[in-house]
Amino acid sequence: MPEQRWAVTRAEDGTVRIAGPSAGPAFTRAVLDVAGAVLTWPVLGPTGLPAAEIHDVGQAQQWLWAVYGEGTAAAVDALASGAPATEVTLPERPTALAEAAARLALGHWAARWWPASHLDGIPPLEPALLSLELAALTHECQQLLEESGEVEGIELLEEHMAALDPLIRWQESADPPRQLDRVLRLIDDAADNSGLDGEAVRRLRSALEQDHHRPTAAPLDLAELFVRQREFALAAGSPGTETGRVIVRGSGTNDWRRYPPGFVDAAEDAVSWTAYALGAGRRIEVEVVADIAAPAGGVHLAAEVHVDGRPPSRVPLARRDDVWSGRADLDIPASTTPGIEVGVLLPGFDPGPGADERAAREAVRALARHRLSDAAAQPAPFLAEIAAAAAGEEEF
Amino acid sequence: MVIDGAWRGLGPGPRALSGPGGAPLTRTVKLIVLPLIVRPALRPDLAADFLGAREAEQLDALIRESGAVLEATAQWFTLLKKTRRALGIVAGNPQDLYFQRCFELATEHGAPGPGADAVARAVLEDVVDASGGRTVEALKEHLADAARRARLDAELAAAWDGREALPDAADTGLAAEVLEACGTAGADAPAFAAMVRAGHGSLLGQALWAAAHPDDVWGRADIPPHLGLTAHRVPPRPEVGRSASTATLPAPFDRTLFERLFTVLQASTHRAQLPPVPELVRQEVGRSCAPLGLHDESLRVAIVLGGRLAVGLDPLGSGASVAGSTAAHRIVNSRWRREASVLRARRMTVSPHPDPDGGVLNALAQDLRTPWAAYMRRLWVRLHGRDVRDAALPDTASAWGVLDGVARSVMMDHRARVRTALRTLSVTAAPSEPAAPVATVAEMRSA
Repeated sequence: MPEQRWAVTRAEDGTVRIAGPSAGPAFTRAVLDVAGAVLTWPVLGPTGLPAAEIHDVGQAQQWLWAVYGEGTAAAVDALASGAPATEVTLPERPTALAEAAARLALGHWAARWWPASHLDGIPPLEPALLSLELAALTHECQQLLEESGEVEGIELLEEHMAALDPLIRWQESADPPRQLDRVLRLIDDAADNSGLDGEAVRRLRSALEQDHHRPTAAPLDLAELFVRQREFALAAGSPGTETGRVIVRGSGTNDWRRYPPGFVDAAEDAVSWTAYALGAGRRIEVEVVADIAAPAGGVHLAAEVHVDGRPPSRVPLARRDDVWSGRADLDIPASTTPGIEVGVLLPGFDPGPGADERAAREAVRALARHRLSDAAAQPAPFLAEIAAAAAGEEEF
Repeated sequence: MVIDGAWRGLGPGPRALSGPGGAPLTRTVKLIVLPLIVRPALRPDLAADFLGAREAEQLDALIRESGAVLEATAQWFTLLKKTRRALGIVAGNPQDLYFQRCFELATEHGAPGPGADAVARAVLEDVVDASGGRTVEALKEHLADAARRARLDAELAAAWDGREALPDAADTGLAAEVLEACGTAGADAPAFAAMVRAGHGSLLGQALWAAAHPDDVWGRADIPPHLGLTAHRVPPRPEVGRSASTATLPAPFDRTLFERLFTVLQASTHRAQLPPVPELVRQEVGRSCAPLGLHDESLRVAIVLGGRLAVGLDPLGSGASVAGSTAAHRIVNSRWRREASVLRARRMTVSPHPDPDGGVLNALAQDLRTPWAAYMRRLWVRLHGRDVRDAALPDTASAWGVLDGVARSVMMDHRARVRTALRTLSVTAAPSEPAAPVATVAEMRSA
């Protein structure tokens, strides 16, 4: 890697910034809340060191040197006590802590933005599996974190304890992934340090104590190991229930930022709409392909419908099998073909419409496909990605 | 970094105190290395974030000299964890609970030898017992006696009648000066001491008791003088009470004696410093009828400071309430901005504008539009906890420590509540989702 020089500056409010590669929209940023700072890696960029926004320089000294090197730590310290902005040379090879931090941040990113899609053939990541690996990585990064960050890792572990047994079975199978042993040992150590106990933890401990690897004869069916309901009869594009005459149809915008993960299929063409003529009236029907894990009852998404640039109206969407759908009457003159734009959102969650980020979404899909297909992906694939790739071969 | 290097030089001996990469655990540094080995109070040269070569050498030598005792500490820690598991103890973080004790054991006995099992058992039992009967259960029992409750009720009535309300007494003028001095290292504001001397906290409390208090104490017409510390216009007389539930605690000034002490006893961290339960109850009668429900004037002044800070909080980054912004406001609001960008990147947003279809998320966003309410509630509970264990705020720095800590807690609360809300939304799917565990938690909390 060529020598890199990054700017270190101090803002008026005392915040010290280490400028990294510039980041794109929110869904392309892997962030980590660390002691005294926030670190940001661009998910789509080359892997490397993060940009840092340091609000507590004293606290950040506990890890700055171990991530950015001694020179940067000294520069930040000098800057905080009044020295002018400067440039620093970064270590040529990332330290072990920097690598673990990048991986932890990317894992958190994947847990929120992985573009799982039936339409695109991108299998979902098993949440419990990813969470356990994140718990392990959190422990590995303990030097970086504040107590709240550490607690987050322990909570992930507590919540997904049930997935420990399949992980142990995977480890005892003929061909466990390289990092699994380390993940299990980190989990054991994290549980031991935090005083977490339970049947699953004890079984893990005794499995680890048998030390040398004793592969069981039978090869393992990964898809079966992490059983999920995958019955999913795709009905997208099926004729709507309306009987009127179709005036116009189109696809809407699938802006991931406007609803939480696990609600909508991440494909660009997951949102579609049809405008009908019913006598003199006009009606729109919106259909959105649901995520496999989408909640069925109680929650309503909403479509935001713009007609001819007028203020938007909302159409509530309820889940029926694999689609969220809803319809509403439109107040438009019968003579014209309306210009319609449709978005999908979760009321109360939606931060508002954003810029056109189609290209960035496509880049994220390409990243996901690359990571699933290439075992040499950097950082190395997560256990959940390995399992998803295996499941994908069977089902997608 | 020096600590890290010296630590690695110690070899595998203290491994039970090291993290996965071989560096000392964060708590090892915070609870053992710094306070018990480096002791910066005795060696101020070593207290800096960044050490010169000579100091670095000195620190390195200190840690290396302590190699044997650290190794023994690690062995004690391993033994204590093992004994703890055998005894089935799960409450609390073992590092927090035992690190310092292990260092003491190592200093006194060296490595665990014959008879160490019994010592370990005794230490564990000792730590478990540190609550010394200062528990919610004991409080419940104490207040179960009808005659005692009647007596306390009469005392409350007398104390309440003895108050002196002072309309128009509130003076929050110096607060901005103190807040301007917050957050810069070593800076102290004489204004804080002046506010304590002049009793500005008591004056606010007495003004709030008056039926005809001014409507605009905080420079914003939309914020009540009591900052949501009571649901009433004027705080009512506290009742004795016999039960409490975390989920439904009323505003601080509207809490019963039981509810006030319940929150204190639930926070287990400082239990050993509390007076015994009967004394706790006796003191709370006077405290609950004192201005702002607090005895100590520095803590009352902290309410004034907190109020002044709270009315300028801007978690949504609307820039609307920057009037009279101080250094403290800038620090806290810039933290909120950072938090907002983290939450966007973690896909945990709430709509910035009111949304009638938004359900629980809309309610959380609404709380962000009136951040002063949550802030004051948390601040009062923390100050009350300090008051109960006689921990006054000696200077601006310690006051800022509390004000800033509360700001962080409010932010972390918000994050936790958004996380919970989103998780709940995502699982509404399964109609078989068992309701039982939720009920159990609620019952436990209301115990």
